[in-house]
Amino acid sequence: MFEKMIDDSMSKSPWIFHINAGSCNGCDIELVSVLTPRYDAERLGFRLTGTPRQADIVVVSGPITVQTRDRLVRTLAQVPDPKCVVSLGSCPCSGNVFKGSYAIDGPLEKWTHVDVSVGGCTPKPEAIIAALAKATEILKEKRKEMRK
Amino acid sequence: MSVLMNLFHVLVFPGLLFCVVMGVLLSGLDRIWVARMQRRVGPPLLQPLYDFLKCCGKETIIPRHARKAAFLAAPVVGFVALVSISLFLPVAGQEAVFSGSSDLVVILYLLTLVSVCMIVGAACSGAPFAGVGLSREMVAMISYELPFVLVILAVSSVTFTVTGNVPQSFSLQAIVDFQAANGALITRLSMIPAAIAMLLVIPCEVGNHPFDVAEAETEICEGTLSEYSGAPLAIFRLTHMVKMYIMAALFCVMFLGGITTGIVLLDIAIFVLFCIVLTFITSSLPHAVCARFKVEQVFKFYWTVVAGLAVISLILVWLGL
Amino acid sequence: MNILNHFPIMSVMVLFIGAFVNALVGRKSSAARNGVTFVAITAALVMMLALIKPIMLDGEVITYWMGNWAPVEGWAFGISLEVDALSLFFALIVTVAVFASGIYSFTYMSHDDSQVNYYTLFLMLSGSVLGLVLSGDLFNIFVMVEIMTFTAVALTAFRTNYEGALEGAFKYLVVGSLGSTSLLVGIAMVYSQLHTLNLAQLSALIPQNASNPVLLAAFAFLFMGFATKAFLFPFQPLAADAHAVAPASISLMISGVLTKCGVYGIVRLVYCLYQNWDLPFVQYLVTGFGAVSMFICVTMAFNQHNFKRLLAFHSISQVGYVITVVGLGSILGISSGLYHAMNHTIFKGLLFLTAGAVQHQTGSLDLDRLGGLSKRMPRTTILFLIGAASISGLPPFNGFASKWMIYQATFQQGMSTGNPFFILVCVVALITSVLTLASFIKVSQSVFFGQLPEEYKDVKEVPVAMRVPMWILAALCVVTGVFPNLVEKFLLLPATNAVYSASAYIDHAMGADYAAAHGVFSNGILGIPASNCWQPATWLMLLFCVTCAVAIVALLGSPNDSKKLAISACDEDAEALDAKYESFFSGEEAVYSQVGGSDLFWGFKHNWRKYFSFMHDWHSGIVNDYTLYGAVAIAFVLLACVILL
Repeated sequence: MFEKMIDDSMSKSPWIFHINAGSCNGCDIELVSVLTPRYDAERLGFRLTGTPRQADIVVVSGPITVQTRDRLVRTLAQVPDPKCVVSLGSCPCSGNVFKGSYAIDGPLEKWTHVDVSVGGCTPKPEAIIAALAKATEILKEKRKEMRK
Repeated sequence: MSVLMNLFHVLVFPGLLFCVVMGVLLSGLDRIWVARMQRRVGPPLLQPLYDFLKCCGKETIIPRHARKAAFLAAPVVGFVALVSISLFLPVAGQEAVFSGSSDLVVILYLLTLVSVCMIVGAACSGAPFAGVGLSREMVAMISYELPFVLVILAVSSVTFTVTGNVPQSFSLQAIVDFQAANGALITRLSMIPAAIAMLLVIPCEVGNHPFDVAEAETEICEGTLSEYSGAPLAIFRLTHMVKMYIMAALFCVMFLGGITTGIVLLDIAIFVLFCIVLTFITSSLPHAVCARFKVEQVFKFYWTVVAGLAVISLILVWLGL
Repeated sequence: MNILNHFPIMSVMVLFIGAFVNALVGRKSSAARNGVTFVAITAALVMMLALIKPIMLDGEVITYWMGNWAPVEGWAFGISLEVDALSLFFALIVTVAVFASGIYSFTYMSHDDSQVNYYTLFLMLSGSVLGLVLSGDLFNIFVMVEIMTFTAVALTAFRTNYEGALEGAFKYLVVGSLGSTSLLVGIAMVYSQLHTLNLAQLSALIPQNASNPVLLAAFAFLFMGFATKAFLFPFQPLAADAHAVAPASISLMISGVLTKCGVYGIVRLVYCLYQNWDLPFVQYLVTGFGAVSMFICVTMAFNQHNFKRLLAFHSISQVGYVITVVGLGSILGISSGLYHAMNHTIFKGLLFLTAGAVQHQTGSLDLDRLGGLSKRMPRTTILFLIGAASISGLPPFNGFASKWMIYQATFQQGMSTGNPFFILVCVVALITSVLTLASFIKVSQSVFFGQLPEEYKDVKEVPVAMRVPMWILAALCVVTGVFPNLVEKFLLLPATNAVYSASAYIDHAMGADYAAAHGVFSNGILGIPASNCWQPATWLMLLFCVTCAVAIVALLGSPNDSKKLAISACDEDAEALDAKYESFFSGEEAVYSQVGGSDLFWGFKHNWRKYFSFMHDWHSGIVNDYTLYGAVAIAFVLLACVILL
C-alpha cells in the first residue's frame, strides 16, 4: 500500500555516512561545506549520521591506505540495503598523487561497487551536491529493483 | 456507538493519527526554523515523514550480540505507551478519553516507560556505543525527573486548594476545569517559575539538541540508536517526533488549559497554534543557540537551576500567592 | 469448636515439627528431606489461605489460648495466638514467600552438603516468622524474634566457602543482638509497669498511661528493636553484608520476610499498642526514619558491584517506602504501606531468585564481570525484567500500583496539614523511584544485556524446578498489579480496617466491652480513599487497541511482494563471523567490549562524588562502628521520645 510512497521517500531522505580512508582532509572539509548555510544540502533531505547502520549513502574520501582498508570494508558491510557508495575526490578513483605508494591499496573499485564518482582535488561543493543528488536517484532505482 | 466513538478517539483524535500528524508537523517546523535561524533554507515541511518512510524501506539488520525479540519489541512498546499518553490529555477543550484521577503520576511513569524502552532496546543491541548511550540517557532521565516532579507537585498543589482531595488534584481534567474557572495557570505569579522550569524540562525529556547527550551522533555514533536500522529505527524516530507533540500538549494542558471558545474546530486550531509556539520556544530556539552539553553539566543544570525554579514555585504556592 | 480456630497454631507447629522430623529422618535421603519440607510449607500455606474467608471477608478475629488458659477477671495469664486481618495479611506474605523459597531450594541447594541442617534451620526460620506475626503475646514475639535471628544468622553463614559469609553472619549476630536486647528492655519496662504482656490487654492499658515516662522509654526501645529487624537506617550496612553472602533462597527470606516482621512490629506498636499515630512527633519519627532509609539506601545501591548486595540495599530502600507511609497515620498511608510491603516481598523475592539463578549457573555475582546472559538464559532474563519493572514502578506491574498510592498518601498529608516536611518526603519518594530504575537498568545492562564474556559461553538456562517458583512470583507481580481492585477488596481493606479497630482486637481476646471500659474506642474504616482510580485493565485494553492499530498499519504497509527487505539476522552457529552483523566499532574489528558494571552512571556519580565518598567512609565494614551507630540511634530515639512525647 505504501510501496510507492516509500520508493519516493528513498530519494528524498538520503542520510550520509562519511568514511575517511586516508584522505588529506581537503575533501572532508568540502563535504562539510556542503551542509553549511551557503550550500545547505539539508534542503534535499541530506543529513550526516554517526553510524553506518543508519546510512543510505556512504561517501568515501582518500586513497584507501593499507591501514584503513579493513576498516573500510567492514564498515561498508554494515550498511543496510539499499545503499549507494560515492567516491569523493580523485584519490579513491585513481590514487591521485599517491598512486604506486607501498601504503596504498586502491582504487575503491577494488573493494566495492562504486555508484557515483566525483573527480577533483578537491571537488567543488556544487559538484559534490550534484553527485549526491545523482546518488539519490540510484538509491531509488535500487529500492525498486530490490522490490522485484 | 460508544464503542465506535472510543475507537475513533483511540485511533484518530486525540489518539494515534492526530499524534503522528502533529509529531510530523512540529518536528518538520522545528527543522525549518532551526535552518532559518542559521540562515539556511531548510528541508521541506514533510521531511520527517520522508525520513520515517525511507527507514521503513530499508533492511533491518539484527547484530550478532542482540536479543532479537527484545530488540524488535522495544521500539513498538515504547511507541504504543507514548501514544496511550495522548488519551489521558484533555486537549483542546475536549474531555480526556481515559480520564481518571491522578493521571499526572501515570503520565510521569508512562514517559519513563518510553525512555526505558529506548534503554532496553539499546541494551539489547549489545554494542559498546549503545551502552554509553544508555548510560547517558539514564543520567539525563534522572536529571529532568526531579524538576519535572516538582513542577507536577506545584501544579497539583494549586488545584488542591480547590478540590481538597489528592487524586482529584493530580487529575488533568480537574486541572483543566480549575483553569477554565479561574484562568490559565500561567497567569498566576506562583506558577511562572514552574512554567519556565517545565519549558526547560521539555527539550531534555524529548531529547532535543542541547540536551541530546544520549544520541550525540558525533561523539558516540548515535548512542542508543547506534545499532538500529530499518523499521525499528523508523519507529524510534517517530517516537521522538510524537514525544515533541505530547510534551507540548502536556504543557498546554497544565499551564494553558481551559481556554475554550465552544467551537471544536477553533479550539483545536488554538491548541495546535499553542503547540507550534511551544515547539519554537522549547526546541528550535535552544537548538539554534546552544551547543550540546556534557552529561554531567546536564545533571548539574537540572538539579540546581531548573529544580530551583520549581521549588520557588512550590514555596510561592505555599505562601498562597 | 470450629477447626479453623486451630489453624494458626497448627500452621506454626507444622513448620517446627517439620524441622525436628527433618533433623531425624533427613540425614540420609534427600527424598525424605524434601518431602517433609514440602509437606510442611504447603500445609502452612494452605492453612493460611483457608483463613482468608473467615478473617478477611467475614471480619472475624481468631483468638487461641494455649492450654485453654482464657483470661480471668480481665487479666490474661495464658499465652495466646491472636489472628486479625493484619496478622493474617503478613502471615500470607510469609507463607507465600516461604513456599517459593522452599521449592527453589530443592534444586538450588542440591549441590551443597549437610543439607539436612539447611532445611531444619529453614523450617525453624519459617515457623518463627509465622509465629511472630500470629502471636498475641509480646514476650512470644521476642522469643520468635530470637529464633528468627539465630536461624537467619546460621543460614547466612551456611555457605562458608563464600568470601565474607562468616563475617557477614557475625555482623548480623552482633548488631542483631543489639536490636533484640533493645526489644527485651522495652518488654521488661512494659511488664514492670503494667504486669501483663498480652497484646490485647496492653493495647487497652497503654493508651491510658500514655504519659508514663517508663512506657515512653519502652516505646523507643521497642521501636528501635523492630527497626533493627527491618534493617532501617542506620542498620542498613548489616543487611547488605548479610544478604550478599547468604544463599539466594535465604536472601529472599531475609529481605522479603524478616524485614516484614519489623514492619509488622512497628505497625502493631504504633497503631495497636500505643495508638499514638496521630501525634506529630511519632509521625515525624517514623516517616523520617523511613524516608532517610529509602533515600540513603537507594544511593548506596548505585555504588554496588555485587548483584545481591545491590538488591539488599534496594530492599531496605523499599522497606523505607513502607515505613514512610506507615508513619503518616492516614488510612491511605497505611493501606498503601501494606500494599507495598506485599509487593516488595513478591518482586524482591523474584529478583533474589533470579540473582540466585545467575549465581547458580555462572558462579559469579560480579556486575563488572558478567554480561550478555540474555542469550544463554532468556527465560531468567524475562523474569528479571518483570521484577525490575515492578520494583521501578513501571505500569502495569504491582510496584506502580502501590507507589502510586504512596505518592498520593504523602502528598495528601503534606497538603492537608500544610506541612512542607511531607511534601519533601513525597519528592524524595518520587526521586527514589527514578534512582531505583537507574540501578536496575545498570543490573540489566551489566548482567543480562551487552556482550557475553568468553568464560560464560557455555552457560545454560536454569532447570525448570528453579524457574517454577520464579514464575509463581512473576505471575503474582502481574496479577496484583493489573487487578489492584481485587487486592484492595480481599486483602488491603480488611487489613487496614484491622489496623484501625484496636477495640475489636482487644474485645475479642479480653471479653466484650473490655476496650470501652478502658477508654479505647475505634470504629474501623469504611473504605480506602482514592481507590478505584488506577485501572490498569482499562489501560491495558487501550494499549492493546493501539498495538492492534499499529500492527494493522504495519501489515498493510509491509512489502508482500518482496521478501528481500525483511529482517536479516545472522546465523547463530556460523563459525565464520560476518562483518555485517558485528557491532559497529568505528570500523575496528569487533572485540569483546562490555559497557556496564559499577561505573555505568558516572555522569550522576561525578556530581555527587563528595556525598559518595562520605558514604563510602561511613560504611566502614567494621562491626564496632555499626554497633556504635545502632547504639547512638537507640539513645537518640530514647531521648527524643522521653523529652518530646
